Amino acid sequence: MMNDMTGEEIIVEMRGITKKFPGIVANDDVSISIKKGEIFAILGENGAGKSTLMSILYGMYEPDSGEIFIRGKKETISSPNYASSLNIGMVHQHFMLVSDYTIAENIILGTEPGAKALGFIPFVDMKRAEREVKELSEEYGLSVDPGMIISEAPVSVRQRVEILKMLYRKAEILIFDEPTAVLTPQEIESLLNIIKNLRDGGKTVILITHKLDEIKKVADRCAILQRGRLMGVLDVPSTDTSTMVKLMVGREMDLAVEKGPFTPGKEVLKVEDLTVKNSDGVTLVNDVSFTVHSGEIFAIAGVSGNGQTEIADAVAGLLKASSGRITLNGVDITGSSIRKRVETGLSYVPEDRHNVGMILDLELRDALIIRKYYLPPFQNNGILNRAEAETYADRLIEDYDIRCSRGGETVTRSMSGGNQQKAIIAREIDMDRELAVFVQPTRGLDVGAINHIHRQIVRERDRGKAILLISLELDEVMALADTIGVIYSGRMEKIAGADKLSPHDVGEYMMGVGKK
Amino acid sequence: MKTIKKLLSNDAVFVAIVSSVLSLLVGAVIILLLGKNPLTAYVNLLQGSGLLPKGKYGGGQSMLTDFVSFVDAWTPMIFAALSFAVAMKAGLFNIGISGQMLAAGFISTVFIGYSGLNAFAAKPLVILTGIVVGALAGSVIGWLKYRFNINEVVSSIMINYIFVFVVSFFINTRYLDHVSRRSREVSAASRLTLHQFEIGGYRYDIPLGFGLALLAAVAVGFLFNRTVLGYEIKAVGLNRVSAEYSGINSKRTIFVAMALSGALAGLSGVTYYLGRYASIGPRVLPQTGFNSIAVSILGNNAPFGILFSSFFIEIIGKGSAYMSSRSGLDTEIASIITALILLSSACSAYYLSLRESFRSRRKADG
Repeated sequence: MMNDMTGEEIIVEMRGITKKFPGIVANDDVSISIKKGEIFAILGENGAGKSTLMSILYGMYEPDSGEIFIRGKKETISSPNYASSLNIGMVHQHFMLVSDYTIAENIILGTEPGAKALGFIPFVDMKRAEREVKELSEEYGLSVDPGMIISEAPVSVRQRVEILKMLYRKAEILIFDEPTAVLTPQEIESLLNIIKNLRDGGKTVILITHKLDEIKKVADRCAILQRGRLMGVLDVPSTDTSTMVKLMVGREMDLAVEKGPFTPGKEVLKVEDLTVKNSDGVTLVNDVSFTVHSGEIFAIAGVSGNGQTEIADAVAGLLKASSGRITLNGVDITGSSIRKRVETGLSYVPEDRHNVGMILDLELRDALIIRKYYLPPFQNNGILNRAEAETYADRLIEDYDIRCSRGGETVTRSMSGGNQQKAIIAREIDMDRELAVFVQPTRGLDVGAINHIHRQIVRERDRGKAILLISLELDEVMALADTIGVIYSGRMEKIAGADKLSPHDVGEYMMGVGKK
Repeated sequence: MKTIKKLLSNDAVFVAIVSSVLSLLVGAVIILLLGKNPLTAYVNLLQGSGLLPKGKYGGGQSMLTDFVSFVDAWTPMIFAALSFAVAMKAGLFNIGISGQMLAAGFISTVFIGYSGLNAFAAKPLVILTGIVVGALAGSVIGWLKYRFNINEVVSSIMINYIFVFVVSFFINTRYLDHVSRRSREVSAASRLTLHQFEIGGYRYDIPLGFGLALLAAVAVGFLFNRTVLGYEIKAVGLNRVSAEYSGINSKRTIFVAMALSGALAGLSGVTYYLGRYASIGPRVLPQTGFNSIAVSILGNNAPFGILFSSFFIEIIGKGSAYMSSRSGLDTEIASIITALILLSSACSAYYLSLRESFRSRRKADG
């Protein structure tokens, strides 16, 4: 176990790890070994299985098959607590901190240093805790104020707290899950330095990311996953980014859809200098402009969390634009209500079909009329026309092949995810609006449903609709788009005709390493 | 047998029956521990509500007069539980029904109950005032939610306090009856209950608002099954984010739902303070407003479920006085049973999962 070619100690070895979820193989016979004291990156697209693999190492999932060796000893890691006892720590994408506690309190939580007042009354020795936290933060250059309340701490500080939490628990193997997704460029710079410091201090760092430039800057070696399979383990300094991109995205297209010729018509949606900020004032969409014409599928490609869903929400009115202008069918809708936008010519299939796209506790016939219930013939003087809703539901079920056990009376929650999505798409397409926005329309669906939905999107485009498609799946973008816009950290990096960009080019722009 | 089986397969009916039976059983244990016979106690409850004949009756009283008095007490409970249900459909927990009842009862008492108007003018005006004041009181909570996103539970508890103390202040300083220590009685013309109305030698307390309560139940059912507003309220209550995505103005919908809920609470208030009673006790909130929560939940927040559950819970409430006098049990036993029902109907998911596992085990065996 102790021997690599170089004779360095292998601290983590995962052999033949396979993990299946319903309908998807998240990890397919993946084997990696990580040396003590290196920065080992795990690279892959969304859904490639990076987080699953590391969650297995951290004891959050049990693999269906495969073995894990830590420091040469075979281990069954049944829980994060057990992982912690093996000196494994993890910083999750979403921080797990108590927001009303101070930084020091959060760090010691669960392993509080105790003391006895008057020799017998137990209490938490906060003085000692704060001192220890301070020492620890100085040792690794992670400056924090131990007395600060978490809810007042900026995101980058919270992340440092998470790192300190691991170190306080004597973690030697540190897993970072997409640590830079929430940070500004300067903060990323400083985080990468912290990660290097940790390695130089003898820690082993595992970095889950899809950002090539970061890997180039800090990682020693990198494993590339694609659809759950290990594509290779590369020595980072001696490999160029182009090779990495190829391994990440280069594969056969299996989603080809027949499309009519591209004949763009009039301008339907015009987005000018759109900027969207969240409630903390962090810029999510940064000065983005683009136009979608009738008969055009405009696809926004990008890795998750780079601002693409916010663009869709801003167009649809679910999010406020901080600045910029959105014009639909020649009408300025920047400040309009959602209903006004829909009436001006918008339909929207949102990313989250369970919480946004559909009210799952409604019966299908009620869920299908939610865009139209207030219009005749669905209502008359405030009274709903049930018979009309029923006929309408029957028609959509028939036309869009929605499978449901009890017709219009089926409670939508009981339907399969694919059929829920078909119902949402049926409802939106049937409104017959000039602009159709689709966000991740096929996420989590099987191939049959994906093809069905793709054909519908193309049919709408051939009927002269303007389509704004936002997808994290590069295959989907390449198969459907007439025009591709690539977004990276809130900025539109590139807009070009689909015939002018190869998947490789798009991949590079998505990773922030494309040619300017 | 088949219809019973079918009824039991309805989740809401199943939960209601399980929690009622469970609560009565636990209540029986408590009564046993107190050294009394639970069966007689429960029979006493039914006798006190005019559903079973008593051993003997006083002058002018019969089982029917008891039952009519029971309906008189039942009426405000129906309104109050409907009020809770309407807010609940919009996803709001209106714990301020008692306060809204009090506000509506007090304003109607002062402006109409003491006005000397004749019955034909006074009674409709009492109802109208009840609706308007209740709606306003409910709107305050809805508005605070709309404008400042203040949690309706917090605001309605606080507003309950405000109402109860403001009303008490006015009663104690201006409208106090020094003998009863309650507000002065309202005029018979303004009362919504025909008090001790004599028919054939028997004296009845006839609730004029009962028909209105039944009508309200039908109207609430219609609202949620057949109207645009009801559809919007349901959508907002089930999933506010998704409702907004669909273009529904969820804030306005919440405001309207609270106003409607308040209007029903107001009707409860006037049938309570100017119906069953004719005066207001200072510094107390009507228990009906709180019990209505249990009633509505037990009735699955559905109008017809509420008619049944309010009937059931009101038996416990109304019959408790007779039970207390006959078997020497404290009337608080009735409150304990009501509380147990609320507690056990809150465990509905547990019963359903028990039934599910029972069914699958039977299937596996068979």
